[in-house]
Amino acid sequence: MARKRGRGMAACWYGIARTATVDRAAAWAEIDDGGSAKIVTGVTEIGEGILTVLAQIAAHEMGVKPEHVVIGDNDTARSPEAAHAGATRQTYMIGNAVALASREARKRLVDVMADVWDVEADAIRTGNGEIWAENTNHRITMGEAVHCAKGKGVVPVGSASFGTDTTGLAPTDGAGRPWQAYVFGAQVAEVEVDTVTGEVQVLGIWAAHDVGRAVNPQGVEGQIEGGVVQALGQGLMEDYKLDQGHTSTHGFAKYILPTSLDVPRVNSIIVEERDPIGPLGVKGIGEPAMVPTIPAIMNAIYDAVGVRITALPATPEKVLMAIREKERRDAAMAQAAE
Amino acid sequence: MVDFRLDAVINGRKVSRPAKPSQRLLDFIRDDLNLTGNKEGCGAGECGTCSVFVDGVLMKSCLLPVAKAQGARIDTVESLAKTGELSVLQKAFHKAGASQCGYCIPGMVMAATAALRINPFADREEIKERLGGNICRCTGYQKIFDAVELARDVQNGRLPASALLEEDYTDGDFIGKNVRRLDAPSKVSGKLKYAGDMTMPGMLHVQVLRSPHAHARIVSIDTSAAEAMEGVEGVITCADVPGEDGFGVFVNDQPIMARGKVRYVGEAIAAVAAEDLVTARRALAAIKVEYEALPAVFDAFEAMQPGAPVLHDYAPDNLTKHIPIRVGDVEKGFAESDLVIEETYSTQAIEHAYLEPEAGLAYVDHDGVVTVLSPSQNITHHRHMLARIIAKPISKVRFIMSPVGGGFGGKEDMIYQGMLALLAMKTDRPVRLVFTREESIVSTAKRHPSRTTLRMGLTRDGRIKALQMKMVCDGGAYGLSTEGVMRKAAILGAGPYAIPNVQVDTYGIYTNNTPSGAFRSFGALQTQFATESHLDMAAERLGLDPFEIRRINAMQDGGFTHTKQKLGKVSLTKGLDALEKACGWEAGPPEQRGATRKDLGRADTRPPVALGARFEAPGKQEAAE
Repeated sequence: MARKRGRGMAACWYGIARTATVDRAAAWAEIDDGGSAKIVTGVTEIGEGILTVLAQIAAHEMGVKPEHVVIGDNDTARSPEAAHAGATRQTYMIGNAVALASREARKRLVDVMADVWDVEADAIRTGNGEIWAENTNHRITMGEAVHCAKGKGVVPVGSASFGTDTTGLAPTDGAGRPWQAYVFGAQVAEVEVDTVTGEVQVLGIWAAHDVGRAVNPQGVEGQIEGGVVQALGQGLMEDYKLDQGHTSTHGFAKYILPTSLDVPRVNSIIVEERDPIGPLGVKGIGEPAMVPTIPAIMNAIYDAVGVRITALPATPEKVLMAIREKERRDAAMAQAAE
Repeated sequence: MVDFRLDAVINGRKVSRPAKPSQRLLDFIRDDLNLTGNKEGCGAGECGTCSVFVDGVLMKSCLLPVAKAQGARIDTVESLAKTGELSVLQKAFHKAGASQCGYCIPGMVMAATAALRINPFADREEIKERLGGNICRCTGYQKIFDAVELARDVQNGRLPASALLEEDYTDGDFIGKNVRRLDAPSKVSGKLKYAGDMTMPGMLHVQVLRSPHAHARIVSIDTSAAEAMEGVEGVITCADVPGEDGFGVFVNDQPIMARGKVRYVGEAIAAVAAEDLVTARRALAAIKVEYEALPAVFDAFEAMQPGAPVLHDYAPDNLTKHIPIRVGDVEKGFAESDLVIEETYSTQAIEHAYLEPEAGLAYVDHDGVVTVLSPSQNITHHRHMLARIIAKPISKVRFIMSPVGGGFGGKEDMIYQGMLALLAMKTDRPVRLVFTREESIVSTAKRHPSRTTLRMGLTRDGRIKALQMKMVCDGGAYGLSTEGVMRKAAILGAGPYAIPNVQVDTYGIYTNNTPSGAFRSFGALQTQFATESHLDMAAERLGLDPFEIRRINAMQDGGFTHTKQKLGKVSLTKGLDALEKACGWEAGPPEQRGATRKDLGRADTRPPVALGARFEAPGKQEAAE
């Protein structure tokens, strides 16, 4: 058989948010005229879907609908500092800051209505754009409640900064508390290796990752699928080449990327072990999704054809050379045994 | 050249306008008609973001001279939702979560529309093949295939139109729900404006002169001829930096433009702002730079040797950062081990390849606030750095983050925003710079190439007694995120395993290669590739199942990390159990069992590609159309 299949697995761990330094993110929230909600924070979308995640969180906390959340962001002159879009920190840092700010905004509104209705604040519920008091006939829209609050001189706003309790590393032994939230994961890869051409096709990936709590499961899957495929690119084909500092891979004809034909079926398994520190229990997924893919593929190649690729990428040339070398080695051993 | 008038029907409207015959159709559509839905990703027909229909046929508009469109019917992504209502396919992209950064999506939607027009019954494998000319760097394509299959089924009546709608989440609990992406409609329709899609009145175009040398002293820069050219409004070099020059993430070792010497091929030396791009490019050619070549070093190990060429005065040994981790005594651990395995692993530099090349606008507003709009992943830090570099209070510096067409860490560095700010200040006009793909690849950071030597000692029952790891990374010419990458690589390198004796050292080294910087998974990818490969080698030698050897060593609740941090709950075993069950793993040691495994080829894998084999004979295909 020219084509041989195999499976391999690998595990991973990762830290959430900025490393070995205190991370901080701020957000403002307001329940606005007409009952829409406004969130302002200093950093958001780079494609991962964080705008939607923040809208879900704000809607959930304030009792409005996600499509009624307006997010003002990404402008150092108009929004509070929230640091950068990276380090698998957005859902954790900004998400938790938005949750805390939203709770404060909601509390301002609830306190006014508790006063107006003469009920305990605990008895007040919000949801789907309405505010009501349990076991009473009091039920109005959020828009009406905001109108009422402003009439009493109260703007239902909140602000919050979410920070991490972390430290730097000791310079001699690295001791320290680089993160307060860790995630763990593991993946299995199934490959087919063509022993005539050396080409490796990844046919399936199963990826189990702890995300704390999935705010938007479809978005989590999107991060896993995208991360797996980027890792596949590094594992099998991508190679930025330099000769005396000059690149020979200055375009996509030379720098080969995974296309629709290269990608495996990715099966995501979302594990939820809630973060006990943040108000939401969320963690993150962007970066850890990439980490186990390459060793899982390399272990699968070994399972299929018995060669271990230790120098990336596992191009057809490299795999083929390794297979030939193994054949020579096996033949020499067989001869020696005779 | 003879003037040329294009007569065509574009998105259903008659267009008759002068154009340069050599102009690319893409530029005519985007610049002259302001239809910016279709993007430029590579300018070479390789990525598909610029895909449009020409007389109904899917074409890459970056490869078409506008003269070729004479008399043609052109449809851009804007034609698909002309009345404001998204097409079935666009709605399916929204429902399936098929857009992430969104930059490839207009081209992808066009290609998918073409696929279903050619074969309304295309199966998943044919859909994949028909999308093969369009690159997406974010999604991994899976949700795109899901979207096209959903659209196909709705169009064919196999599914009701309601399948495109969001599920009803009226219980007010929105966490844990697949709320559709709020930004997807703007992405699938091409309405979202990235920095390179934006213009301002009076805007100038910026081009950057880059170093052809890897290491050279700059003897002189003469910009006088360029400055004298008609249409050139400003030329800048490092002499135009009013404050304290230097940017970076952990160490500010990189000047906005080369100062005194260049350290890598592609480093910025000077920049020009002119009335149009062609003038700006001609002006670059008129700048005279005299170099004196310096000895260069292109290998991290060579750069560590005494006497190697030195890049930065502050780092005479070319060391950017060394991070050590120490637990217990590894030699004692190896002595207690029954099996010791050593291997060396290497990983290559890779390019982020976000589909949106770097782009940005800058202007000085009516209150004297220097404003930079760009797809920056770190506007907070950039604001602080730029204020110092241009010697202004922070209140007079404003960064706006434009929609990011893919980042993956590659847009964390302030690699070009400083030049934009300086040119806006010098010309007092808005300026815009859009990188070409080549410029983006040559001048911006890569993932750190690495070489890791790993030694692991285990007892017969599979317990890791000692782990010793040394990783050397080529950080390239500037520091950027190297320090952070070394730190994360070191902290996480030994893996999520309880190991009594650990010694990890990671070294980031300066060389005259393209700088390495932040890249999704930030060093952890390199070191854990080594550890996880190694564990399988150990499992084979010890006759253990790969899941089992990891379970045996997994950190436990309340255990300690390699930096001696006490952990709370550790979800590793939970993840391993869930994974093993989900994939139907057949247990056994990893000793080349592929030929006899019974768990292969399940329904949750894809069939292997046999290129071209699925396409029908040409006659049959035409009949389908």
